[in-house]
Amino acid sequence: MTLAALLIANSLLAQTQVRPEITKQQATTIVRVAVPRPEGVPLEAVENAFFAPLTRDLAASGVFAIAAIPPNVPPNADLAKAANADFVLSLRFRQEEQDYVLAARLLDTTGVTQFGKGYRGVAVALSRMAHMLANDLVREMTGKAGIFLSQIAFASDRTGHFEIWLMDWDGSNQRQITNHRALAILPSWSPDNDRLVYTLFTGGRSEMYIINRRGGGRIHVQTALGLNTSATFSPISNEIAFVGSVSGNPDIYIVRDDSSNLRRLTTSYSIESTPEWSPNGRQISFTSGRSGTPQIYIMDAEGTNVQRLSFEGEWNDDATWSPTGEEIAYTSRVNGRFQIRIANVITKQSRIVAGEGSNEQPAWSPDGRWIAFQSNRSGRWQIYRMRTDGTDLMQLTFEGENKDPDWSKKAE
Amino acid sequence: MIENMNKAVKGFLLGLVLIAAVLVPACRSKKAPPPPKVAPTETTSSVPNVPVTATETRVANPPDFVQTQTTPQVTTETLPTDIEELNRVAVTRGYLQDAFYGYDEAALSSDAQAALTASANWLKKNPQYNLLIEGHCDERGTEQYNLALGDRRANSAKEYIVALGVDGSRIRTVSYGEERPFDPGHDDAAWAKNRRAHLVIAGR
Repeated sequence: MTLAALLIANSLLAQTQVRPEITKQQATTIVRVAVPRPEGVPLEAVENAFFAPLTRDLAASGVFAIAAIPPNVPPNADLAKAANADFVLSLRFRQEEQDYVLAARLLDTTGVTQFGKGYRGVAVALSRMAHMLANDLVREMTGKAGIFLSQIAFASDRTGHFEIWLMDWDGSNQRQITNHRALAILPSWSPDNDRLVYTLFTGGRSEMYIINRRGGGRIHVQTALGLNTSATFSPISNEIAFVGSVSGNPDIYIVRDDSSNLRRLTTSYSIESTPEWSPNGRQISFTSGRSGTPQIYIMDAEGTNVQRLSFEGEWNDDATWSPTGEEIAYTSRVNGRFQIRIANVITKQSRIVAGEGSNEQPAWSPDGRWIAFQSNRSGRWQIYRMRTDGTDLMQLTFEGENKDPDWSKKAE
Repeated sequence: MIENMNKAVKGFLLGLVLIAAVLVPACRSKKAPPPPKVAPTETTSSVPNVPVTATETRVANPPDFVQTQTTPQVTTETLPTDIEELNRVAVTRGYLQDAFYGYDEAALSSDAQAALTASANWLKKNPQYNLLIEGHCDERGTEQYNLALGDRRANSAKEYIVALGVDGSRIRTVSYGEERPFDPGHDDAAWAKNRRAHLVIAGR
């Protein structure tokens, strides 16, 4: 049984039409919201599982700012005024047997409900409930859902072997989904957020496997080639681009997820690696050593029309497209250290998002506002998250070594 | 002050000259012309290169090894049956020698060729064993490109061994990129050790 089945959301009230003042706020202004403690249950019951992730989501949303709450004011319109906030978020729980039932209301300073919705779920679904509510509130303000239910896949060796793991966008709920006790790395999400493809090293071979997000349904994608690394799902079909090799010549290949229709896209004798599809599936970026150093190139998904994207840095790799397809983030060596670089696909102009240590393997959030990446700044590889301008940095992993982040493609 | 010092220095120098005057005739009386000191040091400094040149000639001439192989094989040596133990022995006795690479390179240096030649000779004498060649890289590159680079390294080693007469169907390759470094350090010495094609006996 999945968490989704444990949790039911229903429209609490007929949704109020979005009022003019909210439409105005859609632009860039931050909405100040007062979020008093939930009522109806002891705070301990919902603080860590619900209240903390909810306030964290809202604070990181880029839409809301959380207003400090003055003491002894009931959670109504008066509180919004007293806290100098635009809204107050009223959270009322009740318990029905195993279920926590939540009524969430967003009240403006005149006491009018701008948003109201009910949620129901058991205790283990409370953090999911928080992320759903935060997503709904962001959609209410911007018209686009938040990314608080998106997942980051990564490889972690905290069990003694690198396995594939998943976590929530804020680093919570980290869970292992493979158990090979070998070397499983480089996970990549399918466009429907339901499957992952990754590379497994076992018995002196490296092979591609597909697994569903709950860890079941494992399929071996057979290619009869070497490497089988850097696998990535097409956003529009059931095809996988990856690096295959014959006699030490690594090239970009495509294969269907049922191991059929294998074909080769690049034919140069140089090393080709690290393919990534554009969001519309029409182009593929990749790394090639054809100029003498690893650089980023873009080609059509048929392998034609190759053009070079990166000209700065003597070692570039890990290209990945923003959700709009306008920008490509990649790993770029600057003064002997790897940094995240973001380049415009058309103008090829680029900027460095500087950070401590070596910073590699960028992965865009589905809304394009965040980048997850790995850094060795703490002395070991860990996964971090930042805005695309480098602000609001947050370390997401702490146990063992953690790397190869890939953010799920859909927001929900 | 300065005058005093000058006097002292002058006195010291005069002393030296006197000592020299006594010593030099003594030397001369033993051996007629002292040989120029510069020449011998130059000769010795150029000597250590000799073993390297010898190795290079051997490698450039693979048929030589086929010939040396006609000498009676070392059959008296017992090899362990346990594969892990066998691999340990193969390293300590130099049966199998890893090839090392330059930064972002998959080309074989003369040292790498010599190591692979020695390994090929042992493999030809012991045709019952299969070989796994692992390509490895140092941590200074990126993970994904290094996996591809390690594949190229492992295959360059395989090609060389096959060219020396080892049946290619006995050899498989795999690339670990920078996943499994031999030396966990973060300096030139560690990186040099980690850029290698690692030869492993993979059973019969």
